[in-house]
Amino acid sequence: MTGATWATAARAALVVVIGAPTLAMADPTLLSKQYPRCTTCHYADSGGGLLTPYGRSLSREEISMFGRQGASADPAQPPPAGWDGTLFGFLGEESPLQLGLDLRPSHLDVDIPGRTVADRNFLMTLDLQAAWHGERWTAYGTIGRQPRASGGRLVSYEHWVAYRVADGVSVRGGRFLPAYGVRFADHTMLTRERLALAQDDQIYGVEVGISTDRTLLQVSVGPGHADTLLHGDGRGALTGSSRLQIDVSPRTVVVASGRYHGATSADPARSGGGVAVGYAPAAWLTTWTQADVQHQVLGPSRRSYIVAHQTSVEVLRGLWVRVSPQVRWTDTDPSGDLRRMVYGVDVYPRPPWHVTVSYARDRVPATGRRVQRLLAQLHLYL
Amino acid sequence: MARTRHAAAQIVTQWWEAEVEMARTGRHPHVMRAGTRHPSVPHRPLVVLAVAACVLTGVPPAVGAQAWRVSSGDVEVRCRLTVGGSFHVETTALSGTVEPSRTSGAALTGTLRVDLTTLDSGIDLRNAHLRDTYLEVARGAAFQVAVLSEIALADPLPATGRQETAFSGLLALHGVERPVAGTAALRHRDGQLDVEARFAVSLDEFDIPPPRYLGIGVRDTVDITVTFTAMRPPVSPAETP
Repeated sequence: MTGATWATAARAALVVVIGAPTLAMADPTLLSKQYPRCTTCHYADSGGGLLTPYGRSLSREEISMFGRQGASADPAQPPPAGWDGTLFGFLGEESPLQLGLDLRPSHLDVDIPGRTVADRNFLMTLDLQAAWHGERWTAYGTIGRQPRASGGRLVSYEHWVAYRVADGVSVRGGRFLPAYGVRFADHTMLTRERLALAQDDQIYGVEVGISTDRTLLQVSVGPGHADTLLHGDGRGALTGSSRLQIDVSPRTVVVASGRYHGATSADPARSGGGVAVGYAPAAWLTTWTQADVQHQVLGPSRRSYIVAHQTSVEVLRGLWVRVSPQVRWTDTDPSGDLRRMVYGVDVYPRPPWHVTVSYARDRVPATGRRVQRLLAQLHLYL
Repeated sequence: MARTRHAAAQIVTQWWEAEVEMARTGRHPHVMRAGTRHPSVPHRPLVVLAVAACVLTGVPPAVGAQAWRVSSGDVEVRCRLTVGGSFHVETTALSGTVEPSRTSGAALTGTLRVDLTTLDSGIDLRNAHLRDTYLEVARGAAFQVAVLSEIALADPLPATGRQETAFSGLLALHGVERPVAGTAALRHRDGQLDVEARFAVSLDEFDIPPPRYLGIGVRDTVDITVTFTAMRPPVSPAETP
């Protein structure tokens, strides 16, 4: 491998991690607590982002080591100052308008044999989040700093409006990450990063959600990748996605998903699909497995496969350990094969503090190249 | 005399159900937190007297040779959320005895009881809200248990094999009695009776306030699945030749 190739690999590793707005345990793991749907704790149907007052309460009462107020707490009263953070609770938990600040100072150590890559301390995320929820309407938006290796810029990752047409039927339009598979909190998971579902992959579009007691169907369609449309680089194309979740039980979930992205002047058309299974045999154990196949009309390999698994164990209240083996391979281009193993620890001492440490080891079988990353992150959801 | 016989038989029945529950769970089902015995559970000397009364009067205890006693079981309540999805509330504190009526093989005498203070939703705060705010178990004994009585099967209890049938009964819950109806699958296996019964309950009909917390609610109708294994009780002293 040439020096230039190593440098490219190092830059790629840095970009992958620096760009991560989320690298924390989140909703998929809460399947073990009988929360198979994102909407219980998040404003977004597809999960992630600002927590609802219920989600904040759950974080305080059931996830954190300390800080629980118990059943005697009056939900109409805002938490004590500094309890749940600066912004949240400022307007009261019953207020239709909720604010939040997502702040993630981080430390990153990348190790590539034969190369020296300096450790980095940086601010991974600094986002102001707001949500307004009325009888049928929900408006949501974020604005913050988008970190880049060459410096940051102001960005609104998500801004959308949703309307509940009827009980169990909703429509939303705007900029959002389309629903697909299981939204692992770590966007560097191969099932997110390699399926164009990472930190900058929101689309502009319309999504219809139909929810029943045991199923959730989400179908979205739009003119394309949001950043691409904003910058008018001619790479916009019709995109569509569908996701069907079946709650076999409150602790067992099956998800089937499909995506389509039309051809652009720079990229071939591609489509894909996958199946995810979530199973939590105990209140302290959650497992998720997702398998995907991607097709593209042109390119070095017409088909690629990804299988990712994550097991999360609540060792003690507020302390989770996770292990995540992941693999990607292609049908004709071995250079695209990748093996990844991630070990992580999440500590929730009390709201709004959350500490996460992840160690990831990548190996490219075709070249023998190995990359190791250690990311330590303090997550403050103020 | 008849009243005395009935009272004595009832004491023996209550004592036996408590002993079966204690053998199964390792703790007495009616012992309250302070370690005191629930008033509905008779003291052992009283039980001895009752057995003696049954023997002397030639009257068998209320539990006959055709009775089935719950030896193990669980109750699962599926609560559907207003935002979609659901969660389960579970308990294994199920006890009771049923027996085919002498007048009709489809009607069952006896009761099935669930200790509501043991319901578990997997989350402490939800448990506290469930027990204290909605089921209000602190209001007294009638609020601490759910009792299904006057059970009637659409088809008589089979002597062998497997059968699926509709059933109805009278459910006492939250201090309110209401008729309920559902389906039951019954199967004889190695001298035991396996039962899985399903029915739905409207919270509003039992005066249980709509569960709501920070914008998330539980829908009015909850689905209940009762699964248990029942065994023949041992031959009582009165039936010993």
